[in-house]
Amino acid sequence: MFQRILIANRGEIALRVIRTAREMGIECVAVYSDFDKKALHTRMAHVAVPLGGNLPSESYLVADKIIAAAKKTGAQAIHPGYGFLSENAKFARAVKDAGLVWIGPPPEAIEAMGDKIKSRQRMKAAGVPVVPGLTEPVDDAQAALKAAETIGYPIAIKAAAGGGGKGIRIVRDAASMESAFRTASGEAKASFGDGRVYLERYLDRPRHIEVQLLFDQHGNGVHYGVRECSIQRRHQKLLEECPSVVIDDATREAMGEVALKAGKAVGYQNAGTVEFLWSPNGKTKPDGKPDGSFYFLEMNTRLQVEHPVTEMVTGVDLVREQLRVAAGEPLGYDQKAIHWRGWAIEVRLNAEDPFNKFLPSTGTIHNLRMPGGPWVRLDLGLYRNMEVGVNYDPMLAKLIVWGADRMQAIQRMRRAIMELNIGGVRTSAPAALAVLEDERFQAGDFDTHFLEKLDLGAQRADYDELVAAAAAIWRQKKARRETLATTGAGGEAWLARARRGLSTHVAHGAQKQGGAQ
Amino acid sequence: MKYFVKVNGRDHQVEVVERLGELVVSVDGKVLDLSYEEVDDLGQVVVLRDGKSYALSIEGEPTRVQVTLAGHFHDIHLEDERERAAHAADRAHSKGGGVVTAIMPGVVVEVLVQPGGRVAKGAPLLILSAMKMQNEIGSPVDGVVKELYVAPGQAVAAGAKLLALTADP
Repeated sequence: MFQRILIANRGEIALRVIRTAREMGIECVAVYSDFDKKALHTRMAHVAVPLGGNLPSESYLVADKIIAAAKKTGAQAIHPGYGFLSENAKFARAVKDAGLVWIGPPPEAIEAMGDKIKSRQRMKAAGVPVVPGLTEPVDDAQAALKAAETIGYPIAIKAAAGGGGKGIRIVRDAASMESAFRTASGEAKASFGDGRVYLERYLDRPRHIEVQLLFDQHGNGVHYGVRECSIQRRHQKLLEECPSVVIDDATREAMGEVALKAGKAVGYQNAGTVEFLWSPNGKTKPDGKPDGSFYFLEMNTRLQVEHPVTEMVTGVDLVREQLRVAAGEPLGYDQKAIHWRGWAIEVRLNAEDPFNKFLPSTGTIHNLRMPGGPWVRLDLGLYRNMEVGVNYDPMLAKLIVWGADRMQAIQRMRRAIMELNIGGVRTSAPAALAVLEDERFQAGDFDTHFLEKLDLGAQRADYDELVAAAAAIWRQKKARRETLATTGAGGEAWLARARRGLSTHVAHGAQKQGGAQ
Repeated sequence: MKYFVKVNGRDHQVEVVERLGELVVSVDGKVLDLSYEEVDDLGQVVVLRDGKSYALSIEGEPTRVQVTLAGHFHDIHLEDERERAAHAADRAHSKGGGVVTAIMPGVVVEVLVQPGGRVAKGAPLLILSAMKMQNEIGSPVDGVVKELYVAPGQAVAAGAKLLALTADP
């Protein structure tokens, strides 16, 4: 096993990896941008190496600086987390060429799955079911319009080099093709430096179901069952579950086998996730639940954000397994050893305003109240006084709960969100609460469009009086305190004035900085 | 002090009066029996009303306050009488249209309109990129583009002026 590893990431995932590594007696090297010099991952690592800069392109995306940091600190392996360089085959190769261990899949597997067009062709050839659509990129909106006629609307425009929902647009009719094509291609270019897009059929009432895989270096592989990730908006997930109400044991095993086949087809190693679209086929199963078909969507060649729900239900620490197999250990168990117990739900706490089109929200974190209690897990990267800017991913933390069954997990998550407060920025928490309290969600009747259509404005008015009164008192008390501070009594007046001057100055500075990021 | 309070878009009038060191609060003319305690100086507040306690998180600016109660978010606009009069005068002056500002910090990717160009309500004006997502900013009114304040590639702060529109009469 490694004595020291470097984590080429920030935020909650850097912390997540540090925590398991520490439990295993492995020392961690953090890397950080100037902006993150006070961040939790910087503070919690054994060693922290500055990368400089504020933008990802000046720090967490600079392969040379990261590899140099690993060499300098004597780290033996690099864990990429998710995002940033995690699915960059060139980086994986450079890590290996530098004589370090890459805690992830072989670069060839990243390449094979990274190009969404090539991976579909390859999966089709390997006998994995795929969604009907083009296997070649389209050049312009005119070509897209033509191709759309054969595939049939609705159509999804996707970035060839894509992932994470960037560059994806849904087109419902020919009239909106041109504008959708332009934004999709532009977003693909901006995010991946590659504006190529392809088209595929958009399935009706689809659910996003994914299978967690792990392969060691000795040809052994297992799946850890499914995750339900249909609660999403613009392909950014908000709430995930393990398992899924529409997937019974037989379907889970069928999907698991297909996923393992997909992984084996590209010589996969380490942890990975195969994403499927599941769509009802109109039939009903003997147990009354809808029957459906699943199609390969893509494979994410890294640890997923939502991996904790699988951990909670299987009892497996996936980061520990990643480290073990990366160090060359055999898996040591087979599929029969994997058991699923109870139900887990994760909610992503993003800095965004669900009441204003989920637009990014920036500010300084204060007034932080954390949830706790039985079976509540909080994977976070935030702390009081943290600046939330626009340079990085808006995800601040993940709240995860376990319950003996789905309803218990829903009620526990509801309770945990009620305990939570993240002051200073708007967060996605109220949207998650609205999902959890929706009868259709509770009944398991939802698809990937559920969140887009959910009316978040339909807020209860029962506490209006109380809330209006509290806000007015809060304002009046605050105004009074500030007046008292300026006219403070006798010899202390100068001190109070100085203090007030200081606090206004700080507030101003924070605002300016927030705007410039 | 009298306040005009909008809670998630619903209007209420609140009066807060200090009488013999005690706060007397009425909402929409009804006096509420409540006590208000601040737990810390960050915004944790406990309100006791009719024998029930409510743990609130309150934060924001004097005229725009966010209150979270048991996970439920309340967006609150507060005006005292002076502010209300001033805002009413502003609104009468601009008659819709006016300046479109950035609702979030970001980078202008593309400007889709020209000064003097006509725009329909909802038509894309420009594309703003923030947190790696591209967002189309639509026109709030039918009208004409009066002036452009930004160019592609320019970084803008939240609240920055993007362009000015003249709304159709």
